[in-house]
Amino acid sequence: MKIFITDGGSYGFFTAVFNAYNESACVITSDENVQLSFDSEVVRVEADGEKCARVQKKIEACDPAAVDDILLVLRSCDSLKEQIAFEYIKRLIEKKSPISRAFNLPEVIIFDELKNKVTNEVHKMTGFLRFMESDSGAFYAPYSPDNDITDLLMRHFAKRFMNERFVIHDVGRKIAGIYDGHEWIMSYAGEAEIYLSEYETVFQTLWKKYYKAVNIEQRPHEKQMKGYMPVRYWKFLPEKKI
Amino acid sequence: MIDERKLEILTESAKYDVSCSSSGSGRKNKPGGLGNASVGGICHSFTPDGRCISLLKILMSNECLYDCEYCPNRRSADVPRARLTPDEICELTINFYKRNYIEGLFLSSAVFDSPDRTMELLCETVAKLRKVYNFNGYIHLKGIPHADGALMMRAARLADRMSYNIELPSEKSLKLLAPQKSKQSLLVPMRGLKEAMDGDRINKVRKNRVLPAGQTTQMIIGASPESDGQILKLTEALYRNMDLKRVYYSSYIPVVKSNKLPSVGAGLLREHRLYQADWLIRFYGFNVDEICGENENLSPDYDPKCAWALRNMQYFPVEVNTAPLAMLLRVPGIGAKGAYKICEARKFAKLDFDNLAKMRIVLKRAKHFITCKGKFYGSESQSQIRASLMLEGARESQTQLSMFSDSSTALSVLTGEL
Repeated sequence: MKIFITDGGSYGFFTAVFNAYNESACVITSDENVQLSFDSEVVRVEADGEKCARVQKKIEACDPAAVDDILLVLRSCDSLKEQIAFEYIKRLIEKKSPISRAFNLPEVIIFDELKNKVTNEVHKMTGFLRFMESDSGAFYAPYSPDNDITDLLMRHFAKRFMNERFVIHDVGRKIAGIYDGHEWIMSYAGEAEIYLSEYETVFQTLWKKYYKAVNIEQRPHEKQMKGYMPVRYWKFLPEKKI
Repeated sequence: MIDERKLEILTESAKYDVSCSSSGSGRKNKPGGLGNASVGGICHSFTPDGRCISLLKILMSNECLYDCEYCPNRRSADVPRARLTPDEICELTINFYKRNYIEGLFLSSAVFDSPDRTMELLCETVAKLRKVYNFNGYIHLKGIPHADGALMMRAARLADRMSYNIELPSEKSLKLLAPQKSKQSLLVPMRGLKEAMDGDRINKVRKNRVLPAGQTTQMIIGASPESDGQILKLTEALYRNMDLKRVYYSSYIPVVKSNKLPSVGAGLLREHRLYQADWLIRFYGFNVDEICGENENLSPDYDPKCAWALRNMQYFPVEVNTAPLAMLLRVPGIGAKGAYKICEARKFAKLDFDNLAKMRIVLKRAKHFITCKGKFYGSESQSQIRASLMLEGARESQTQLSMFSDSSTALSVLTGEL
């Protein structure tokens, strides 16, 4: 069985789809630690602009919205994301028309769930991201999301904080979105050293006081709190740090 | 800079207001401005009581002229008092907003000096946020009963949402427990705002619309003797006649000792059942009369949809592949999302139980009320269905139980007094 290993980017993935499409049994993955069996044949995929464009064109002919959905799924942290997207594409091309709502098909359900995990995390992070004011007046928000969503958040915050300068830093993936008050770009970002503004700790303290005061102690329901706000996100929330 | 202690006092005083949502408004940012609103609303944090923090919920002052029996801030109560200036509130809102702690401001106040003076200062705060700070985030403003109508309209052009709290589910209870407020002092402004919103809609006003996110209200459950049926009837009337976006219920917590008030809380299960019924009215096409009789209470054992289905077994089972959407919505275990998925999926193929399970339909409940391709997997006997749904209901109330810190209320749930 052939195993197509991509670099994790979308060009590499669509090229792999092109190469793998006519194989009877094969796997596409960007996971370097994929389990190999005795008959596996590893194929490394080099992104190819022309093949990539042909695959995308074919997909768009079946469903104009599908490429965007696939790009969302490829942001997932699930190690099977390429395979799940590939199965979806095969089914889409077989049906020749949109299948995004064909919830009778297992490929569609699993694809849809993965897509929702990504968009749900984007939505949650629009709420849970926390900015700190630096001494230069720019705002800095470190976080560590499950999925690769920083540029999606940049779109949201560039509208909301149109006149501010800010950085959203995915410390796990070592990338950051940087907005200068006019435009934003994505960039590599390892470690960041931040000097906080003189009022930053004051407002963090006020926020913690507020958080404590607004809770109704007679109605404890920690399980629900943790369900909505998973513990793994807490380390970047001032109100949950001790 | 705002004083920490003041913030604590005025947050403590505001926290019993349950409304927290920041949805319904699509207000956009303007050049040079700060913030926008998100139509679906955004939750920014969750407190250990399981509620979300979306807006900075705070009172301008807790110094009150009124003496409402149930209220911890009533005039005769011996509690620490504080008052904030419009600038202090604006500064705090802007700084919390820039750090993405909040989606906007929920400003309310006790009635100090006079209703007009209170409303005037609330109005001034909101106007400052919008015009001086150029703030375009979400603002929910509490209306002050008995305040001047012109002040109210001025506020309504600046805020995204306003609310006048009904407080208690009947005029009689209002008279007894909140004698300075009257039904008219709450309903007249509510109607005024509704008419202004209707006017904007008819005239196709786009800019500076009155309350893009509409109005809501809140009432306290269990402080007075009204039945669930009466409460839901009132709720339905408020949705139909006042176009309210939400009616919130707040289960009564005995923070204030009074001989006019019960000494135990109403419990969260009752509140939970009322919200379930509220959802059925708004999203599932039910009338109140179908869910609960005028002087009845909702069953603690089953959710209101199950209870309705058990009373109306003549409509079931329905065939999943052919039943209209309105009927699917009435099947216990199928929610609005599930019904949508079924309707979409069955255009592609006939569905069986396996398909439904993969769509995350709650088959444990739904199986008694549906067939798939003519097959039925539920129980034939009514009593068995009741028993199995009841078991599930018991699990639900057990998890509910863990929410009571007060053991006497927990006991009353067990013994069915609730």
